[in-house]
This record gives sequence, C-alpha cells and structure tokens, in this order.
Amino acid sequence: MPAEGSTSAGVTPLPSAPGLPPAIVGSPGGPDPVTGGGLLGGDPFRRRSRLFRTERGRVVTSTVSTLAVLGGIVTAFLLAPGSRQVRSVFFNAHDMWRAFIGDPHTGFYSVGKGILLNIEMFLVAEVLILVLALVIALVRQSRSPVLFPLRMLAIAYVDFFRGVPLILVIFAIGFGLPALYLPVISYQSAVVYGVGALVIAYSAYVSEVYRAGLNSVPFSQIASARSLGLRPRTALRYVVLPQAVRTIIPPLLNDFISLQKDTALVAVLGVVIEANRAAQIFSSTVFNYSGFTVAAILFLLLTIPLARFTDHLIARDRARRLAGST
Amino acid sequence: MIFRRLAVAVAVVVAGTGLGLAGMSVPSGASPRTEGPGNTAPLRSCTYSAIQPFLYSPGHLTVATDAPAYAPWFEHNRPSDGKGYESAVAYAVAKRLGFKPSQVKWVVETFNASYAPGPKHFDFDINEISVTKTRAKAVTFSSGYYTDEEALVALKGSPITKHHTPAALKTYVYGAEIGTTALQYINSRIHPIHTPATFTTLNDVKSALVDHRIAAFVTDTPTAQYIATTEIKHATVIGQFPVSNQHYGLLFQKGDRLVKCVDKAIAVLKRTGVLHRLAKKYLRVYTSIPVIKP
Amino acid sequence: MSQVAGTGTEPSVPAPRETGAPDGRALRIEGLHKSFGANHVLKGIDLAVDPHEVICLIGASGSGKSTLLRCVDLLETIDSGRIVFFGHEITREEVDEVLVRRQMGMVFQAYNLFPHMRVLRNVTLAPVKALGLSVREAEERAMALLGRFGLADKAGDYPDRLSGGQQQRVAIIRALAMRPRLMLLDEVTSALDPELVGEVLDVIRELASGGMTMLIATHEMGFAREIATRIVFLEDGVIVEEGPPSQLFDAPADDRTRRFLGRAVGAGRG
Repeated sequence: MPAEGSTSAGVTPLPSAPGLPPAIVGSPGGPDPVTGGGLLGGDPFRRRSRLFRTERGRVVTSTVSTLAVLGGIVTAFLLAPGSRQVRSVFFNAHDMWRAFIGDPHTGFYSVGKGILLNIEMFLVAEVLILVLALVIALVRQSRSPVLFPLRMLAIAYVDFFRGVPLILVIFAIGFGLPALYLPVISYQSAVVYGVGALVIAYSAYVSEVYRAGLNSVPFSQIASARSLGLRPRTALRYVVLPQAVRTIIPPLLNDFISLQKDTALVAVLGVVIEANRAAQIFSSTVFNYSGFTVAAILFLLLTIPLARFTDHLIARDRARRLAGST
Repeated sequence: MIFRRLAVAVAVVVAGTGLGLAGMSVPSGASPRTEGPGNTAPLRSCTYSAIQPFLYSPGHLTVATDAPAYAPWFEHNRPSDGKGYESAVAYAVAKRLGFKPSQVKWVVETFNASYAPGPKHFDFDINEISVTKTRAKAVTFSSGYYTDEEALVALKGSPITKHHTPAALKTYVYGAEIGTTALQYINSRIHPIHTPATFTTLNDVKSALVDHRIAAFVTDTPTAQYIATTEIKHATVIGQFPVSNQHYGLLFQKGDRLVKCVDKAIAVLKRTGVLHRLAKKYLRVYTSIPVIKP
Repeated sequence: MSQVAGTGTEPSVPAPRETGAPDGRALRIEGLHKSFGANHVLKGIDLAVDPHEVICLIGASGSGKSTLLRCVDLLETIDSGRIVFFGHEITREEVDEVLVRRQMGMVFQAYNLFPHMRVLRNVTLAPVKALGLSVREAEERAMALLGRFGLADKAGDYPDRLSGGQQQRVAIIRALAMRPRLMLLDEVTSALDPELVGEVLDVIRELASGGMTMLIATHEMGFAREIATRIVFLEDGVIVEEGPPSQLFDAPADDRTRRFLGRAVGAGRG
C-alpha cells in the first residue's frame, strides 16, 4: 500500500517493518526527475545533460563556447569607440616596420637589432648561471665541516640576491664598479656589467631550483651508487645530477623565460640599446607604441619555441624517470 | 538541452556585439572637447564663456607638466608660482583666455604618458615637447612658444672642451634623454662612432656626466646653461649647434578644439613681445655662447 | 690481501674466494651500536660470518636489519663497536670506505637501477669508473653476467621497460660485476609482486650454490629456511637468537622468536 509522503508516479516504496515509519530507502532527493525511476529503476547513472553525455557532445560544447567567448572579446575590441585609435597607436603596421628597422637619424634605433642584443646577453648569462648556480647548490648541499664557512656564505648570498630587486643589483654593479676604479674590473662595457648582474642575481634563484632537484632524487639512488664503490664526485656526476636536472627542467625554463625578459633591465645603464629600450626610444620620438608591439612579438618568437622544445624534452624523459616502481 | 547551451553561446556573442554597438552611440569622453563620433558642436569664438564647454574642468584651465619640473622652465619644482619660462607662458596664455591665475590648475603627467591614446585629464601639457610631423599624428600641438636650439655640455677640463672639431666630435660617447630631439641631432649631425647612451630622465643624464660615464650630453640651450651655471658647477657649455628650426609646442589631445584659441593667444604674446621678454628674463640666452659645427 | 682484477675471461659467477686471514672469518661484527638521534636502533650486535656462509636476517620492520646491513657497507657511521672484514678492521678512521664498498655488493628494496641509463650501462658504470676497466672489458663482463641470468636481450633497454623482478635481477648483476667478496641483500623481494619474487630468489639461490658469502635481510621464511646456513633473528636492535634453519624454525629457543614466527607464518609468508 502506498506510504505517506510517497511522491510521483512510478515510485514503489519498499515495504516497511510494522511499527516503523515508512522508509524511502536510499533516495534522499526523491526519485530521479529525468528518468523518473526509483533507486535502481530507470538509468540512475546516466548523465543529466545531453550535452555532456557523449565524448562528441563534450567536444562540440567546449569548442562552441570557447569560440563564443573569444569572438565576444574580439568583437568588443573591434567595435569599441576608441578602437581605431588604439589600433593605430599599438598595432600600426607601418610604424611597426619602422620600429623594427630603426632610423638613427630620426632619433630611434632598430628593435630588430636590439633583440639580437637581448639574445646575446641571454645566452651568455644562461650558461654562466647554470654553472654558478650549480656550484652554489652543491656547496649548500655539502655536509663536510671543511666547507662550513663557504656554506654560510652561500646561504647569505642566496638570501641577499633573492631579496634585493634585480634593477638595484644592475645599478649597483653597472654604476658602482666603474666608480671604484679597480684595475680591469672597472673598465668593462655596460653589457658586461649587465650580464654580470643578471648572472649574480639569477644564480641565487636557480641554485634553489637545483637544490630542489637534488633533494628529489630518491635516496636509494645515491645509496646504490655509493654501495657500488663510486666516489661521491662520480656518483654526483653520473647518477645524481642527470636525474636531478631532468626533474627540474620546467622550473628552470620558467626562470629562463624570466631571464629573457629581464635582459631589458640592462638598458638602465644607458648605452645598451636592447629591444625594449629601442621600442621606448621609438615611442617617445614618434609618439606611437607600435615599437613595443614589435618587441613583444619578437620576445614571443623567442619564448614559445623554447617552451615547446622543453615540453618535448620532458615528454621524452617522463617514462624513464619512473624506473624502480613496480 | 543542446539547444539551450547553444542559445547561451549565441547570446554571449550577441551581447558582446550589442554592447559594442551601444557603446558607439555614446560619444567618447562624453565631452565636446574633442572631435568624436557624437560630437558636432563647433567652437565659435574664443571668449571666456564660449570656451567653457571645451575645457577639461569648466571654470579652470588644467595644465599638465612632468615631475620634477626642471629649471629654468619652472622654479623650485613648483609650477604654480608662475616663475620659470614655461610656467610664465602658461599663465600668460591663461590670462589671454580670460582666466585669473587662481583658476589655473596644475596636474602631473609623465612624458611617456602624455602621448598615450585615450582621453586626457588636462587641457594642455607644457613640457619642452618638440613639435614634429610624426608626433602630430598622435596628438595636436599648438604653434610654437619657443624655438629650440641644442647645446653641448661637458665637464670642465675634459678633452672635449679643447678638441671639438667635427672630426673629433665623432669620437666621444654622448648622452641624451629619451624623448628629446637630442638623440636625433647627435645621430644625424654628429655621426658618432660609439652609440650614444640614452637615459630615461634628465637627472640620469646628469649623473652619467658627473660619473664620467659619458663625455658630454646634448640638450636645449637654456637647460644646458642652467645646469652648467647652477647645478653642476664643474660643468661647462661647450657651445651651441647651428639653428635647428625646432619649436616647443603645447600638447593637446588629438582633435582638441581649444587649440585654436590657444594659438591665437600665443600669436598675440609673440606680437606684443611678451614671449621675448619672458625668454630674456628666465632663459638668459647669452648670445656669447660659441656656435660649434657638428 | 690480494685483489683479483677482472681479465674478461672469468666465469660469470665469481668463484669462491680464499678464506680470510688471520681468523678465517669473512665478517666479524663486535659490539655494534647505532643511533639515529634519540632512536637507538642497534644495541650491541655481535655476529661472525664465515666465508661462503649465507646468513638470513629475519625480524619485524624496525628491528634494525636494514641498518645493520648499511653499517656493514659503511653507508652509516657506527657509534661504537667494530667491524672486521676479512681480517681488516674497516671501522677505523683512516679507512677509505669507498675502497671497502667496492668489495661488497649491496642491493636495496627499490629504486636501485639508474633510470636514465640503459641496463648495460647500469652494469658497466662502476667497473669502468671505480675499477678502471676499459669500456669493452666492462661490457664483456656485463654481457656474460646478463646472459648467465637470461637478461642479455635487455641490455639495451631502459630500466622502465623491465618488470620489477627483472630490475632487481639486474641490480644484483650490477653488484656482481664488481666481483665483491660479500653480498648484502636488503629485502630485495619485498617490493615485488608475488609472481616476480621467484625469479629473483632463483638468482640468489645460484649465488649461494656458487659459494658467495651473503647477508640477506628477508621476509621470505620459506626461502630463508631453504637457502640459509644460519638464521639470525633480530628484535629491537638485538640479536635474540641465531642458529641453523632447522633449529630456529622448528624449535626456537626464545619466546620472542616463537611469537614472531607465529605471526609471520600466520601472515602467510612461511
């Protein structure tokens, strides 16, 4: 017989024990409104929305909604009242070309040539940073009492250069060193000081990334290497470092993309006409920001391939890292 | 159900378009100051009352300049005391337009922002800005209120003070402030073999000279003189370069209507000798500065 | 003590070594104490091992089996006591532990193989870098060993392509490539799926029958009974009881041993 509170048609409440209130066992929300079945009647596990039910449906939905949002944004941009002016100030093809080529006689320099300077600085700095940061990380990881003072120095170094803003470091080195009139050191070009400052500052950050990588190598790897009778240096070089480095490729890449852009800061030393500074000079001479757009595009052309290549390296290595687990 | 979702997606696109179209019918900046889609009111006369609707803040003349405001264009970094060439010119223009000095309001606008697109929050910007054709595409300039000459500043006793033949001039490392025509001048007339150093502000240029990072820098003659006589005592103006025919102009938002009236005011100030008198008073242009050829 | 360098034509499984000088023991552990901070793990271990003996260490987790093996391999510094290896006291300060470890082979429970190197390189790395063999000699030795245990076709693979059992077998081979005098196996089958355990035990069996001196920490009671010359039962950092398998398993003298075996058998590892 139907119990109290029984709901829509199709529900057959379970018989309840005498003396006990009627139970609608296990269906707290009532029967499924879509299928209309009871607890195990109909298809209780079927997805509610038709749109998400099939793989194809999900793909179509996500594509359409993505296009719709992007389309909305582009439309809003193109139809905004100030759109024409913004486009001519930021995306003016003629000015972008002029900025790319440069014209010192009119008072501005080539952004295209400037980016070569960024690349040069970035490549040199990157190599030096990878080396210096590794040294710092190894010093910090060492446990021998002989290296204690160096270890303390390394900790202070990392704390200091991670704390001080990079631009101040560039100023201090780029303006301070020449003012000291030290032999050789005070007579370098601004690019040398700029790259030096980048190396000193970034090594502090990257050394921490190395440490994370070194700590991530399972201890039994080191133990295996030691038990085979390999010297610590050999174990480090052939067993630990290769694994540590493979683990930290993503954060390393992050730091290097940052580095690519931070090369722009070297321009504060004055004589370094890299891409951003060239764009800045262009914009203030011509009153047009299209130079910055060119610089941005050039930086993207640098960063994106690097990111894809790194993804490729990671994917190729992923399987090998998991040896040892059954 | 898929239709419901599609309908939502379409609605987003339609809404975006609709907002855009709706936006178009609202005049930009909602002011008659600039030429824009919804704005047709012409500026018929330059009387005090006629220009009110075309002001940024009616009842006031809003003037912008950079901070710090350098001498001898301003004094003590206080544009509002009317001293310094540009400060005085601004008040003179205001007076011709019918404003009392107390109605002139000063705001800060950095040089790099002054030419950004979009509505400005001032009536005009006075900041030693050279008028060029290219720049006039992005902003509107008044007629010139000062003809700019470029001069060369170096430290006393440095090699360039003795050796500045055209050939010798090529060998030095020069400094220039970004956004000035100095860089163009150095590259197009002097043709140095070393790329000149560029600095974001004039203060950076001065430090570079004092720290011996540059041999000399180029800037306009009044500024050069002020620096050499007052700010950096051991600096000297080596000479002026020949006439360049560059002018400083007041900077307005592109399409601003007020500029017509301002140009009339400037013409009057020129004709009546006010500009010349102010230049003599504040810029102390010495005709005894030697002219050096690049 | 003479070193026997590889000549490339040695039999794949090392021949039994000469007996240790003066007292003939392969290994003598005396009064070994080891603490980790406040945790006193080994509380005075005394153990003597003759050449060719196979000692199986049994005991619960935390009893100190792993720590003991690691102390023997000089991976840990001991707090007090001494270890004498083939007549040489290796716990003296002036001993270069790296040289000692080259004469002992140790295999751990998991993550043994170097994942970024192929199997062959895993096996040849130490002989080349530590023993100074040429790459060719090392590879000949490695291929002989791999072939002996049926893994020659895996030489060019990366470890992740091998099953757990194959990886552990390679790990043992890698240790053997150093021609050690003593093998230390620390629960090498504990992390394996049951069906892979057998192939590893086969390798150990073969080593034992070849006369290799071994210290094996294990949970595999049945295997221990079969292969050990002596069973050593550890609990709470002390050797509670030791003896031949038949004695220890069938007639344990100590209550604690009995309790442990009862639990172990009950858990199905007997």
